[in-house]
Amino acid sequence: MSRVAVLAGVGSCLPPRAVSNAELAERLGSSDEWIRSRTGIGQRYFAAPGTATSDLAVGAGERALKSAGESTVDIVIVATTTPDRPCPGTAPTVATRLGFADVAAFDVAAVCTGFVYGLANAAGLIAAGIADRVLLIGAETFSSILNPHDRSTSVIFGDGAGAVVLRAGTADEPGAIGPFDLGSDGTGRDLITVRAGGSYQRLSGVTPGDDEHFFEMAGKEVFWRAVQRMSGSTRAVLDRAGWRAGDVDRLICHQANLRILHRLADELGIPRDRAIGNITEVGNTAAASIPLAMDHAHAAGTLRPGDRIVLTAFGGGLTWGSTVLTWPDIDRA
Amino acid sequence: MTSMYDKLVDLLVARFEVDRAEIKPGITFEDLEMDSLFLVELLLVIQTDLGVKISEDTASPRDTIERAAELIEEQVAAATPS
Repeated sequence: MSRVAVLAGVGSCLPPRAVSNAELAERLGSSDEWIRSRTGIGQRYFAAPGTATSDLAVGAGERALKSAGESTVDIVIVATTTPDRPCPGTAPTVATRLGFADVAAFDVAAVCTGFVYGLANAAGLIAAGIADRVLLIGAETFSSILNPHDRSTSVIFGDGAGAVVLRAGTADEPGAIGPFDLGSDGTGRDLITVRAGGSYQRLSGVTPGDDEHFFEMAGKEVFWRAVQRMSGSTRAVLDRAGWRAGDVDRLICHQANLRILHRLADELGIPRDRAIGNITEVGNTAAASIPLAMDHAHAAGTLRPGDRIVLTAFGGGLTWGSTVLTWPDIDRA
Repeated sequence: MTSMYDKLVDLLVARFEVDRAEIKPGITFEDLEMDSLFLVELLLVIQTDLGVKISEDTASPRDTIERAAELIEEQVAAATPS
């Protein structure tokens, strides 16, 4: 039987400080009720000064390794929108800090779809025999790129990290990852973006405005596309897996916005209470959101061995992707 | 009023927690405190319910419910050639 990637451990890490809606609303002329009714978010976590994405990534990685009972891996992948530096990638720093000398390490840049793209990378590396064990971490300090005056984005995003350990196994095992559905559409690059800081701006000869160093998002356009791309991608991956919507025990969707999650569940004909969510407690943590939601649900006992699970995400690029697995019997970190 | 208007009213009450007594043909989405995010969600529901592709820009929060119903009907008619 061919080699596939199998989920062996999961962990997460949040910075200590929770930021309430009330705290943000005061500055933005908004309200707790306004934020909750539009996003479903009640609070998010912001990293303290002196913290970087690698700090949260290391915390989540350590817990995932403990959950998997592994002391080392062959490859470390970090999915992030907010790397420690524009260059180099954050994964080598994380690998070194976890004590893995000389292992391969690289970042995946697919914004909120980064974790699902990272899973596809890890699955391919394992299937090809290039690695036996991969640590995949979705990590963000999104607060570092938020525009403090933008009411629409600064209440949505938060910081955090989630990680999984994947090992080589067989397709009939619980925890086997796949099949996948992945896609992108570069015509939407302006809808979710940081305009300044890359080669396009640096070589344009134009000095960027202050706001162009911050993250911006076209909320309405993103809502419209997110629901349709995630529902299309989920249907495609269910078809490839030979599952029907009714077979899905848990839908773990990128925690973008509670209204998007509910709309997606309705479109797919999956009862809303099967959609796993922690957006009320942590906000949208971009590439970290799926493994963070997965770890919180695992810790709460919401994910039971044998549960048939769909993961689906949509993010900047535009990018989207989905995969499936049956929840394995793994330890809580 | 048209059946599309009635459908919009039912959706606003059932899915968006709008008080039926507040809804009148001449009232706008803005008057009901429904911004562009709510409107795009409403259009997604309609698109799925009717099984036709409509545009995300079909209506704006400044449109009245009556006008939005007309605009959606125009799109539905264009999407299903007789």
